[in-house]
Amino acid sequence: MVPKRNPEVVWRLEKGIHEMAWDKAGKDEDYEDLGVLTLMVKGSIHQLNLVGAEIWTRINGVNSVEKISAEIGALFGWEDGETREAVLEFLKGIAERGWVELSEKAGPASPKWKSH
Amino acid sequence: MTLSHLSSPVTVNWGITARCNFVCSHCFSRLDRSPELSGKDARRVVDILAERGVMFLNYGTGEPLLREDLFPLTEYATGKGMKVTMNSNGSLIDPAAADRIREAGFHSVGISIDSATAGAHDGFRRMPGSFGKAVLAARLLRERGIPLSVSSVICKVNHRDFAALVSLAKELGAHTIDLHNFKCSGMGGLNKEKLDLSPNEWKEFYEAAVPLRRSEKGIDIAFDDPILSLLGEEEQGKLVAGSVCGKLSLYIRPDGEITPCGFIPVTIGHILNDDFGKVWNESKVLAHLRSKPATGKCSGCAKFPSCLGGCTARAYAVYGAYDAPDPHCWKEE
Repeated sequence: MVPKRNPEVVWRLEKGIHEMAWDKAGKDEDYEDLGVLTLMVKGSIHQLNLVGAEIWTRINGVNSVEKISAEIGALFGWEDGETREAVLEFLKGIAERGWVELSEKAGPASPKWKSH
Repeated sequence: MTLSHLSSPVTVNWGITARCNFVCSHCFSRLDRSPELSGKDARRVVDILAERGVMFLNYGTGEPLLREDLFPLTEYATGKGMKVTMNSNGSLIDPAAADRIREAGFHSVGISIDSATAGAHDGFRRMPGSFGKAVLAARLLRERGIPLSVSSVICKVNHRDFAALVSLAKELGAHTIDLHNFKCSGMGGLNKEKLDLSPNEWKEFYEAAVPLRRSEKGIDIAFDDPILSLLGEEEQGKLVAGSVCGKLSLYIRPDGEITPCGFIPVTIGHILNDDFGKVWNESKVLAHLRSKPATGKCSGCAKFPSCLGGCTARAYAVYGAYDAPDPHCWKEE
């Protein structure tokens, strides 16, 4: 399964806060409530935390759920099965909101529309 | 998730010019005589905002189409990944201008239409024939596939006719109609008695308009008014409580001075002379706006955590204090 972003979603990584979240993660401090990535969808604004942001930035219409899960597992030191389940749950959640489309095979890579 | 402090505004509203071919009764900027930035400096502004990750750039204040370098400037900004929008009175949008708007890559264009009745609109805008031009502009934009919003200032002229306005916006193909609450800044302050609604009239307006927003299909009705909390109505996906000024957005005047919003004439820095990140992160004014204390009738009000005293600009314009209760608030003392 391959996730592809909705090109109407405008987003950015929050400079400084992304680094701060990784710093906290490295020190085993709470980082889950930090808004690391901001998205604007049809006039509504939303934020993702560090894990969500790391998943989101790997979505390009080419990377499969397996590849994204493997990278997230390696980043956070999580076990493979648990990671895949968590990543898939996250992707299904944002697919329901219309932020991504989940397709069975890869299409062309997402255009470089991302804002920053 | 609750909002962390953002590393920069999501939206910057930029008065790229104070010049206007209209003399509207409510205009917040008509008394603004500040010189506008040169084309070269305007590009520096875009560089600074793009570098800081600002996602949306909205031209407002005067009539943007009077600025000679509007299109190259917009192409420059869109080339840096920014989504550019503008508010226009529509009078200068002919087929050629609409073509250029599309080519420049505008994300959306807002056309000001304040009544579904030509006479009421023209009277409010103090410009005969302006309704017809605005409607034509909206049609020209939609014919070219340019996303359209309709922008209306709710006041004495139209507060009971907004349903017809919504129908017109929908018929024109707008994705959104912004029913802006009246701001008593600039000319709006001078004409407050004539144009602004009483607190109870605001209550009546929202009690009628909110159900329409819920039932209306095919167009979004936006209010962006924190006092909607009084009706238990929260703006969807807003992420912050109270006014968005200084939390999600900032305003840049034609001369480059930065203020929390266009309706709060308090300079907190200059886009070309000060470090933009430092202004955003360290301004004492912005810090104040982000953590307003409850005062007066807001003290002990159960709605305060969601409205944070309502619109800061209105409070500042009427009482000269950021923390004063919103003068539109209908809650009894």
